[in-house]
Amino acid sequence: MKLPATSSFKAPVKFRIRPTADNLVPIRLDIENEGQRYKDAFTWNPSDPDSEVVVFAKKTVRDLKLPPQFTTQIAQSIQNQLTEFRSYEGQDMYTAEKIVPIKLDLRVNHTLIRDQFLWDLNNYDSDPEEFARTFCKDLAIDDPEVGPAVAFAIREQLYEIAIQSVASAREIKISKKGRRGAEHMSASKAGGNALDLMKLFRFNSSVVRKRKEWEVYEPFVDILSNEEVDVLEAREERNTR
Amino acid sequence: MEFSQHDPNLKLNRPGEPEFELYTIPSHSSWFRWDDIHETERIALKDFFDGSSISRTPKIYKEYRDFIINKYREEPSRRLTFTQIRKSLVGDVSLLHKVFNFLDKWGLINFGAASDDSKDLLEDKKLKNRIRVEEGAPIGVRAVAMPNSLKPITIPPFGVNGRAVVGETGVKLPPLASYSDIFAGLAELKRLKCANCGERCKSGCYEYSKDNYRVCVKCFKNCNYEENKSMDNFKYNDCTGNGITHGAAWTEAETLLLLESVTKHGDDWELVAQNVKTKNKLDCISKLIELPFGEFMMGSAHRGSSTGPTESMNSIKQGLSVSSEHQEITQTGDQVDEHMNESEQNGDAANQEPLAKRKRIASLSDAGSSLVKQVSRISTMVGPHITAVAADAAVTALCDEISCPREIFDGDDDYLTDESWSPTMLYESERAHQIDASEMKEKPSESETKETSTKKNDIPLTLKIRAATATALGSAAANAKLLADQEGREIEQLVAAIIEAQLQKLHCKIKHFDDLELIMDKEYAEMLDLKECIVEQRIDALQKAFIAGVSKWRV
Repeated sequence: MKLPATSSFKAPVKFRIRPTADNLVPIRLDIENEGQRYKDAFTWNPSDPDSEVVVFAKKTVRDLKLPPQFTTQIAQSIQNQLTEFRSYEGQDMYTAEKIVPIKLDLRVNHTLIRDQFLWDLNNYDSDPEEFARTFCKDLAIDDPEVGPAVAFAIREQLYEIAIQSVASAREIKISKKGRRGAEHMSASKAGGNALDLMKLFRFNSSVVRKRKEWEVYEPFVDILSNEEVDVLEAREERNTR
Repeated sequence: MEFSQHDPNLKLNRPGEPEFELYTIPSHSSWFRWDDIHETERIALKDFFDGSSISRTPKIYKEYRDFIINKYREEPSRRLTFTQIRKSLVGDVSLLHKVFNFLDKWGLINFGAASDDSKDLLEDKKLKNRIRVEEGAPIGVRAVAMPNSLKPITIPPFGVNGRAVVGETGVKLPPLASYSDIFAGLAELKRLKCANCGERCKSGCYEYSKDNYRVCVKCFKNCNYEENKSMDNFKYNDCTGNGITHGAAWTEAETLLLLESVTKHGDDWELVAQNVKTKNKLDCISKLIELPFGEFMMGSAHRGSSTGPTESMNSIKQGLSVSSEHQEITQTGDQVDEHMNESEQNGDAANQEPLAKRKRIASLSDAGSSLVKQVSRISTMVGPHITAVAADAAVTALCDEISCPREIFDGDDDYLTDESWSPTMLYESERAHQIDASEMKEKPSESETKETSTKKNDIPLTLKIRAATATALGSAAANAKLLADQEGREIEQLVAAIIEAQLQKLHCKIKHFDDLELIMDKEYAEMLDLKECIVEQRIDALQKAFIAGVSKWRV
């Protein structure tokens, strides 16, 4: 299922949720039951047996002291997302060298993070967790929940992009352009987010950004007070309803 | 991009060329050349050099590298972080991170920077000089929650911002319910099992004194044990206090055996376990560690007993007395004062000595430990200062009223040099070990051994009790004093910080006021000018009015 793609050989690659060592699925849960709302986001290893899902759901319910109806709902939600992921497995996915911009805009407890950077989908050594760790260390973030949240956000976006590329790969196949043409198109079509590498890494242009762009790509971290957190939470609630 | 002219190599300063700024890098990186890419770099970062993609070329690598190094050298003293440079470089962040790590590892950047502890990035939210608070009691002091248990407790972490400073994150979460599922299973295994009904003995069990037969309280009451064991031979064993003991409670006899065998055999746990027949190796080791002087026993057993086995025996017994105080509960009433008094003697001595002091007492009895227990319980309830003061007062009172124990406690003063007040020959201090006065040791050892044997018979029971409790109290007092000292120091530091902050505040305010004053002065001058102007204008107007002959013109 996972072909080690040598970079020069741009054959269609099988679906990998994230071109890194572990193939993890980002799972997002948002379950509402009798006035109690459980929101969570984490990564799951799809090679774990499915029995683990139920065990995990039970443990979560017990640790967080939720009413027992949540168990089935949590398990179901996880299963659904896993099945969806597995449906993509085995599909072809064109990954030409693709550097996509990743944007972070999340709030974890009292920390607000906004950031933007580039990520290479084709880089099989990339590791969102390591990035998140460096991020927290460099910015001296004390809250231990921020790291995983950042890693999760990155993975989620990569997942979306991967799904898109699978979808577009399917389209290309259907449009019967043939292999060669498909590859050529994949660079521009598959994932509109991909940056135009030709332009960026041209021989006579510099890789260093102009100073005025530095702020765009700089992380913005803010520690909120309790009132601001309440305000934001209320707004989020309203938006999701 | 500008290329700096600085020569990055160590120790190179060619004569005749303009003065370069020396950029220090470790000598193992001396292969580095500013103008070129070295083989080391090619190997370590081969992504750039295998021609695999447009975004990874040697030229691009060199740009990344040069930029990062230059950025670092803008301010060599601060530690450059990855986040600071990644905003300025176009490219995959993972790859950039790889380059950054490579440079960092080889010392090409951050070589002269401060270590990770002084992060300056989000400083407006944090105090500049964090006061380092040490977590827990100082080394050698153990604070126990209840006199019953041997489990040390730690001071809950606190820091300047209400968060622990030393090595901890700020958020403390309660243990999850599933934690107990996973780890309770392990703890369950260690509990006692009733031999009869197979149930766990939670609160107490009865142990048959002749062998390892245990029944729970219920079975004992119902006489549900084997027929050939009579009821009298069962001894009640309270299990609750010994949370850490693996699967069994340590009776006093066992502890005594353990201590004896440890001093005899030192680290040879097989032999120790053999001697203490009812406990296995691990139990012995863990029990020894739990004992207040256990660790030091293990150490000093190696130091050789130039003082002879008898002394160590007695020191073991002392250790035992302290431990027995933790294990037994009995009620005794008003002898507390006396015992408190006694402890003063030991309190003084203990305060002057390192904590792992060993005092030797001829022999012990069990009944005396109850008072010690009570006293130590009381002392944990009140603050450490109070305990110290109480111990002081008690001891002076005791010294005055009873002379006989004083005789016993006082002894040859000459062989202990460092103390102003020497404990008696009944006391053997650790310092005597540490002072390499071997001749002194031998002399007292002989005299001690002789006198011990004689004194053994002479000292009545109550005095032994007192001595035992006194020493226990003394060690408690020493603990308390050290804790109090530490707290005092912390408070001092905090107060100093507060004062400094206040001073700075005042300073700022004063400066502010000075500025204000300047401004006010200027404004005042302007006002005066303005006033003059207006006055002149008025005069002009009046003159013109007069010239024009307007008589009744009101101004």
